[in-house]
Amino acid sequence: MNPTIYRLEFKLFFRNKAALSGILILLISGFAGLYFGKKFIRQQDLVIEKAGRMQQEQTSTNIKHFGKDPGLLLYHNKFSMVNVPDRWAAFANGQRDINPYLLPVTMLAVEGQIYDTDLSNPSTLLLGNMDLAFVFIFLFPLVIIAFTYSLLSSDQESGVWAVLKSQSGNLLRLIWRKFSIRVFSIFAVALVLMISALFYLQLPADLRFLVVLLLLSLYLLFWFSLSFWVISLGRSSNYNAVLLISFWVVLNIIAPAMLNVWLTQQYPVPEALETLVKQREGYHEKWDIDKSKTMDKFYQHYPQFKQYPFPAELSFSWYWYYAMQQMGDDEALPGAMSMSEKLIKRHHFTNLSSLFLPGIQTQLRLNELAGSDLENHLNFQKAVKAYHEKIRLYFYPLIFQNKTIAKVQWDKFKVAPYTGHTTGNVWQHLLSVGILVLLFTTLAIYNFRKRISLF
Amino acid sequence: MKTIFIIAGRTWKTAFSNPATLALTLILGLALCLATFIGWQNFKSQNAQRLKYKELVREKWLEKPDKHPHRMAHYGYLAFRDKHELSFFDFGIESFAGVSIFLEAHKQNTVNFSEAGFSNGMLRFGEMSVAMVLQLLVPLLIFFLGYSSISAERESGTLKIILCQGVSWRQLLFGKTLGIITLSFSLFIPIILLTVLLWAMLSEWQVSADSSLRLAFLVLSYTIYFIICAGIAVLISAFHRSSKAALTTLLILWVFFAIVMPRITQALGVILYPAPSKMEFAAAIGSDLHEQGDSHDPDDPHYAQLKAAVLKQYQVDDVKKLPFNYGGYVMAEGEKISAGIYNQHQQELNKNFEQQNSFSVAASYLNPFLAIKNLSMALTAADFKTYIDFQAQAEAYRYGLAQRMNKLQIEKISNIAPGEKEKPLSISRSNWAEQPDFQYKFKPVSNVISNHLWSILSLFCWLFAVLIVLGFSSRRLKALS
Repeated sequence: MNPTIYRLEFKLFFRNKAALSGILILLISGFAGLYFGKKFIRQQDLVIEKAGRMQQEQTSTNIKHFGKDPGLLLYHNKFSMVNVPDRWAAFANGQRDINPYLLPVTMLAVEGQIYDTDLSNPSTLLLGNMDLAFVFIFLFPLVIIAFTYSLLSSDQESGVWAVLKSQSGNLLRLIWRKFSIRVFSIFAVALVLMISALFYLQLPADLRFLVVLLLLSLYLLFWFSLSFWVISLGRSSNYNAVLLISFWVVLNIIAPAMLNVWLTQQYPVPEALETLVKQREGYHEKWDIDKSKTMDKFYQHYPQFKQYPFPAELSFSWYWYYAMQQMGDDEALPGAMSMSEKLIKRHHFTNLSSLFLPGIQTQLRLNELAGSDLENHLNFQKAVKAYHEKIRLYFYPLIFQNKTIAKVQWDKFKVAPYTGHTTGNVWQHLLSVGILVLLFTTLAIYNFRKRISLF
Repeated sequence: MKTIFIIAGRTWKTAFSNPATLALTLILGLALCLATFIGWQNFKSQNAQRLKYKELVREKWLEKPDKHPHRMAHYGYLAFRDKHELSFFDFGIESFAGVSIFLEAHKQNTVNFSEAGFSNGMLRFGEMSVAMVLQLLVPLLIFFLGYSSISAERESGTLKIILCQGVSWRQLLFGKTLGIITLSFSLFIPIILLTVLLWAMLSEWQVSADSSLRLAFLVLSYTIYFIICAGIAVLISAFHRSSKAALTTLLILWVFFAIVMPRITQALGVILYPAPSKMEFAAAIGSDLHEQGDSHDPDDPHYAQLKAAVLKQYQVDDVKKLPFNYGGYVMAEGEKISAGIYNQHQQELNKNFEQQNSFSVAASYLNPFLAIKNLSMALTAADFKTYIDFQAQAEAYRYGLAQRMNKLQIEKISNIAPGEKEKPLSISRSNWAEQPDFQYKFKPVSNVISNHLWSILSLFCWLFAVLIVLGFSSRRLKALS
């Protein structure tokens, strides 16, 4: 190690206008990503804050209007559950714009309610969010390519290389020195952005921060190793640029785009529409069949409610009504189950294919860690179902016995928060991207060893 | 003119003598064929799925036994968003917009089950369609072909020879551009022919005039887009001293225009015109409803007035003595008020969304990629306007259904409610068939053109700007590096 040579190399690197503008582009877009990402999540936080107050107001209005008839009150009254955004969600917005984060449900069939979406502008969803994860996954590789593609070839083309070759003993070390300076600069920018994120997004400085740092570092190293390998082929600058950009386009645009349409084709989700139709029929057809049939099925599901007498002689009772609603859910259940199985299959398929696509791999892992992926939403839906069940079990006896709502503890049914994120697949990332890094680095070193004297 | 053609021919020949060009063109051609095929398959299976459930919904509706009409109003209808036959060309917002909507009395539901909701995030990287290849990848190919068109001649010293031989800068620039345009068309034209053929087969040779016109406009728009891209490539090459610098600039432009800028403009639009959340939207409707008349509130003044007026008109002292079903009458009034309020808020929301989108329309004057993207989506009926039009037609159908059931209740259901233990009142199931099936009607292409005038204009602005710069930049260009 000779520190003065490194200092000189640094000077040489930064004398190039492209180096400074590359770093500036990353910093500006990085800070923009932080701003837009935070703004997006802040909006959700504000709505969640309001939700608690609004639910209370609406409940008291409903009590005023329908308080005398608990069956009718529960028909109208909504109980909300919120998917509270993790602090990391501002870093990787993921699917949080597509999937609803606030689900208000009444005591009616839950299957007819949990698939309701938020009001959203489909054009915005199509173009996607600009968060820091986007900058890392799409823009960092481009700047890495810009910094390294002509590392060797520009010296060759300008004739400097011939001079260097005659003066320097170890050419590989020479290339490595130039290369490591670029690695160092990019990682310095990445670190600046991550530390800014730590403070600006108020991320906890814990193990998760280190894991994200590790994932991102590996992803950046992947692009460096790929670039290193392309340099080792010893071709012209233009050839390198075209090849590297083609890699970027294939890995981050064409391959995912192909996989997406293939996935849609291979794993369609007709179960969604099936569930919708089943839930609607399951409930509505009960109006036209004998009450005892519905009640028998209802008691099969909830034997504990047999103890409350059923007013069979009345043409309408809330007891019967909620039993019918329950049937909507019970009959839609197989459809809902096979829908979630289908989604799990899709998830497996993307996970498998992302083994060869570091960009997707990194995005998926970041979304998981930030609790902004599909799995998080499915877990949220499960939590809403569980909450809905809790509401049912609390209010069913009250309605079946025609009791007043005087003793209801409404405090138990405030807006319920759901929080969570998964970390299970970090190893998959480390292994798959790690192996790719090793592969390209080894190939590059092999090429250099074999041919460096010929360059 | 002849010189221009000679230069164009030379450019074409030189490019194709390069095996890399041939390989890239072949790969892209293959990708396009694949995209056409996949898009077609996708359209077929998705549409078949929606059609299957659409028929099932109709069948079940007609099968319902004798019932109280209000039960039918709550049973409601399921509407499925149709895909336009050209949507296999450009997916647009298809995957990000919901597919089904439940239409019932008193309540406006959201359009649910979008493909994006079933995706774990990979969808964000894009979808392979003909439009994506034409919008993103063909320009990249054009840039790869064109970056050295002038600069390489300058680097090798042939540029001054060409200029000495009496070829003007203008002829050279136009010739090179024409050569690259021809190159890209040798890829584009077969694909368009294939697309037309596939599409005609898809519609079983029953091609509608409107769709043909849409396709013709699509072809025209993409032609202009490619001319713009080729012009930009040649100009950048002419203004740079080295091929390497020209390539770098072109790649930066491509990344910025196609990847970064669309996200930023939309994000800015969203921040400057924030849309209400669903909860706030519902609350605003609720408070308007409270002011104008809430049929659920027993003490509501509007309904007290309505009652008094009806009693006076029929000169009775109790609603039970009215000659028609008073419950149905109140519900019809409630539906009218709530649907009116809802529509007003929905229109405001749509306007809000359009303000957000207007950023990307305005930005298309800075970015030809956005111009073609917006226009292509609109022409294949996979854009925001078509989506809100579907919502509006579904809501109109919902309102019609609810009011038809209210009318049946007013006219055919006795005003005297049966006792608690008596059989509930009902009407014959023969009434159900009167409610027609929901059928979405696409707006004609003339509507697309009037809705997207600004995008169309921006594309022409780009074309003329490029042509003008090609024609008049010779003074600023240098033959030597």
